[in-house]
Amino acid sequence: MFRLDADRPVEFCDGTRRRDFLHAGALSTLGLGLTQFMGMKAHGAVDPKKDVNCILLMLVGGPSQIDTWDMKPNAPIEIRGPFKPIKTNVPGIEISENFPRMAKHADKFSIVRSMYHTAAAVHDTGHQMMQTGRLFQGGVEHPHYGCVLGKLRGSKGDVPPHVLLPRPIGATGGNMPHGHSAGYLGKSYDPFILNADPSDPNFRVPDMLPPDYLSAHRVDRRKNWREAIDKSVSKFETSQDARLLDSSFHQAYTLMSSAKARAAFELHREPEATREKYGLNRFGQSCLLARRMIEAGVRFVTINMFETVFDEITWDIHGSKPFSPISCYKDLVGPMFDMAYSSLLEDLSQRGLLSNTMVVGVGEFGRTPKVNPAGGRDHWPQCWSILMGGGPLKGGTIVGASDEIGAMPKDRPTTPAEVAATIYKGLGIDLETELPGAQGRPIPVVDRGTEPIKELFV
Amino acid sequence: MRLYLLFPFTAALLVAAPSLSIFPKEVTLATPESRQQLLAEAQLETAQADWTRLAAWSSSNPSVAIVSATGLVTPRSDGETRITASKDNMTASLTVKVRNAKSAFTWSFKNHVMPVLTKTGCNQGACHGALAGKNGFKLTLRGYDPEVDFDTLTRQSAARRVNLAEPAQSLLLLKPTFAVPHMGGLRFRTDSLEYRVVAEWIAAGAPPPLEKDPVITGLEVYPPASILAPNATQQLIVRAKYSDGRTEDVTNWVKYTSANEGVATVDDTGFVKLTGHGESAITLWFDSKVLYARVTVPFVNANPAESSFKPRNFIDNLAFAKWKSLNLVPSKQADDSTFLRRAFLDAAGILPTADEVETFLADQAPDKRSKLIDQLLNRDEYADYWAYKYSDLLLVSSRKLRTPSMWAFYNWIRDSVETNKPWDRFARDIFTGSGSTRQNGALNYFVLHKDTIEMAENVTQAFLGQRLTCARCHNHPMEKWTQRQYYEFANLFARVGIKNGNTATDNVVFAKTSGDINHPRLLRPLDPTPLDGKAMSLDSTADRRVHFANWLTKDNDYFTRNIVNRVWANFLGRGLVHPYDDVRATNPASNEELFAAVSADFVKHGYDLKHLMRTIMNSAVYQLSSEANATNQADNVFYSKYVIKRLPAEVLLDAMSQVTGVPTAFGGYPATTRAMQLPDVRVQSQFLTSFGRPERILCDAAERSSDPSISQALHVINGDTLNKKLSDPQGNIALLLKLGLSDRKVLEHLYLTAYSRLPRPEEFAQLQKLLAETKQSKQEGLEDLAWSLLTSKEFLFNY
Repeated sequence: MFRLDADRPVEFCDGTRRRDFLHAGALSTLGLGLTQFMGMKAHGAVDPKKDVNCILLMLVGGPSQIDTWDMKPNAPIEIRGPFKPIKTNVPGIEISENFPRMAKHADKFSIVRSMYHTAAAVHDTGHQMMQTGRLFQGGVEHPHYGCVLGKLRGSKGDVPPHVLLPRPIGATGGNMPHGHSAGYLGKSYDPFILNADPSDPNFRVPDMLPPDYLSAHRVDRRKNWREAIDKSVSKFETSQDARLLDSSFHQAYTLMSSAKARAAFELHREPEATREKYGLNRFGQSCLLARRMIEAGVRFVTINMFETVFDEITWDIHGSKPFSPISCYKDLVGPMFDMAYSSLLEDLSQRGLLSNTMVVGVGEFGRTPKVNPAGGRDHWPQCWSILMGGGPLKGGTIVGASDEIGAMPKDRPTTPAEVAATIYKGLGIDLETELPGAQGRPIPVVDRGTEPIKELFV
Repeated sequence: MRLYLLFPFTAALLVAAPSLSIFPKEVTLATPESRQQLLAEAQLETAQADWTRLAAWSSSNPSVAIVSATGLVTPRSDGETRITASKDNMTASLTVKVRNAKSAFTWSFKNHVMPVLTKTGCNQGACHGALAGKNGFKLTLRGYDPEVDFDTLTRQSAARRVNLAEPAQSLLLLKPTFAVPHMGGLRFRTDSLEYRVVAEWIAAGAPPPLEKDPVITGLEVYPPASILAPNATQQLIVRAKYSDGRTEDVTNWVKYTSANEGVATVDDTGFVKLTGHGESAITLWFDSKVLYARVTVPFVNANPAESSFKPRNFIDNLAFAKWKSLNLVPSKQADDSTFLRRAFLDAAGILPTADEVETFLADQAPDKRSKLIDQLLNRDEYADYWAYKYSDLLLVSSRKLRTPSMWAFYNWIRDSVETNKPWDRFARDIFTGSGSTRQNGALNYFVLHKDTIEMAENVTQAFLGQRLTCARCHNHPMEKWTQRQYYEFANLFARVGIKNGNTATDNVVFAKTSGDINHPRLLRPLDPTPLDGKAMSLDSTADRRVHFANWLTKDNDYFTRNIVNRVWANFLGRGLVHPYDDVRATNPASNEELFAAVSADFVKHGYDLKHLMRTIMNSAVYQLSSEANATNQADNVFYSKYVIKRLPAEVLLDAMSQVTGVPTAFGGYPATTRAMQLPDVRVQSQFLTSFGRPERILCDAAERSSDPSISQALHVINGDTLNKKLSDPQGNIALLLKLGLSDRKVLEHLYLTAYSRLPRPEEFAQLQKLLAETKQSKQEGLEDLAWSLLTSKEFLFNY
């Protein structure tokens, strides 16, 4: 469990109490982020009405459109697959029987059924485009939406603006970057990566508090001394890596000194029933943690549902090893998503957070309409479905449509770039905003002329 | 600012008079359809300029060949003509030969039709090149199999795709011109060359690809390297060479990519726009052949001739030539303390002790740096450090190996380092051995790679610096490797047998005389062949691994460049090719002349790794300061200053242990074991994990990370690793107090051990003041001071 002792005062040899430390932290030189935020607010950079958050669920592996949210019950058996559609709480919208709880919340999300991309049909390219809006070419790594938001808006309170749960996407076969980083914005805008499994019974953010044998006074003294020593040497001033080191120490101290920030990571504060409702697994507990992050002031949370597609049961249902079988949508992956996603929507809505928090669920591509000889489906970037809702986005709507076998967009083909534009517009970011690229070349958040998905806005 | 204003004047003194040249230098138009775009390239005072679109073009004999206003030459009749370009009183000319201008001509399916389909994107991964095709029409990805594509186009779908009776009614023309609905939209127009190629090929009866068709043998590009002005543009010309001796202008059919869009961008026609300062490669891909052109935009700086840089060996001369071409002035030489610390860390992964620092600083010998380098390369810690690095490369870990086997493997590596086994023998020993894996630890490489595919891919990565994975399923889309080559190569490892040895933890590796891996589409094995090497007969029962090892270690550029680049990156912080484990043909070096020279020197000296390291460490380039001057702030690529790098996880942990005098406890290992002496990466250590120790699962440089993170900061602030070392009653802090030394002595000792230098007077004054605040507990005060030193940038970085 996360350190329970943080809640009650403990005496130290030097006479200070732990609670003193925590309290002192928020007021002393250690606490920083909040003032920065207030300053920005004063300058009009932050419009509270436009202050929308986002939770991005990366459905790593690539869910099959036909077995999830764009069923083809009238297609031949080799197309329609083993699952049946069910009705939802929005008349006319049907989804797969694998998502019974999600079906009760269809008014809270919309489905875009005409996604496609034209890059190579490997996982990595899709991850890049769905997290940044662009394919990486010419050595240029574009920034993740959350990193752009962090760059433009800064942090809110003492928590980092962008948190990645639970770990970055690992190897998925293409040996390419996956787009979770800040790219040319610089590593100081990279997300805070949890690097721990929130469903682990001993889950805690490692080393969030000083050990018992270190008093608050000494921690503070060390911080000041370290800064003084660093200041006496000038040779690191031009090093990007050295600046990053400073910023990581700065952020670590900010986290430590904020009781509110630390509490956000303390999943044990949630009632057992709530934890169970999300599902006692890595993805479920990550979704619950994401809700706590948003409540604490994190602006953008990215959750990777899986870390790889090899030797793990995921959405990547090629049907043969080391990948997953189609049946896992019913047995494991489907229920896991159904529980976590519906609980997240329900919780956010009950707490009044859904109106300013977008929840976006995307895979990197769809899957072949025709079931392959192994009984699975292979990569298919030509057509797939994604989920968007919350914040200014409408729920209960279907955008676009695929053809009769789910192979091609029939109406309103939609690109990852348009999804990016939709997310940026939803976050209240002007699409003309330019970011500093390599050697200062300005790069707009989305290519000029890219339109958001208008149907999703009221 | 003043330097900037001086620049035009100083630069003008150096350069030759302006001139104009035409490229390519020789042109023969060998068929009625041959054509050649020419370039008019001006050499101006400080840069080249592309005048192709500005010059006036003329042909001395328009009845032989005509030239367009933009320099495109097309044949009229056999003979010779002089083509002239002129502008601003400068002219250049070239003789163009025309042959077979009136002969019959048929477009070739393989050499003309396929390039059209590839360039217009028909067979790209997102369209008909997808594994499942598109709308029932499937081509091989970027045309890697012309026979299959020919069959698909002419035989399938009731021959509607290619209509011999009415060529214009062929779907192959109707679809891409959007005469009928096409999901892929308009790909070419009816009045285009693309249309004519496909239409005339169909009209000629759609002849199939033939064995006797000329085969592409290589590419050439103009200009291969150019120094251009900021914001300039440059047209590239690409010619393909064929087995019948002919060359063809394929500029329009090439796929272009810029390696660094911050410096240059390129469009589909090979037109380059310069967008920044520095250097970029423009990579070219045509019919599975690759090449690159280099474009350089010098930095706007003072004249590098003003530098006080003194070359010491060939590395320095070649680096200097590059700086000169880019207008970079190198930083000054690093002082003795900095050099000492850097050399210890880079060669042996340790810090010098206080004694070693004082001795070195006091030494007045002019060759003391060279002597130090020799001493370092003979230390035990040198062997530990490099054994660790090669264990990263060869994926030594208890993940797939039992503990005794892991040790046998590790010990074999460490012995090889200790005896300075030449790199070619090191590799040979791995691939040609047989017998017990306990007795010959190197053989465990085969136990780690029981899967032939995994073996083929990790071997190419570890010993050749090539990423083959894409070619497993289709021709490599950005590289020259074909799927055929992949399976020819993989078959070299298909006859490795592993059986149980005499004890439970022993294995026996042997060469089998049968067994093959099938090409997945041809469903048959291919002749075992190294990459671009000589094939072995499929029937031969000779040990295929020996054939591989012979090819690998003899006159093999990939093999040499791979290890040279890895060693170079260890010392200079960045590979000559970056990333350092990706030395493919389309990823050019930042200084190719330098890379070639270091590689050649390494081979000349018998693959002697210590010689290579000695050469690098003795160069003036390696001994540059990391502090930038007014000209080289932006340079992180050309080594005009030493690149600052964070200490690797294991080195950092060992350095903390060394300064505090408290070793790190690793479960199951003797108490004094340093992190750099661990054979296994599965030894638990939160410190090592959070500071980026690799997992040794995939052979991939990216497995090791040196990016700073919040969790690293949290761990050194709050975690037990460093804090317990500082407060250990047996540690150096406690010892310093017990000795009752003066503040000055204590601080000097800490500075010498942590920073390899003495505190400056102002630093000493400042620290003494801080320590005075801590009278009530001297121990805590000193711990806190040591903590601050050990978490400062000067400690965490190698500079």
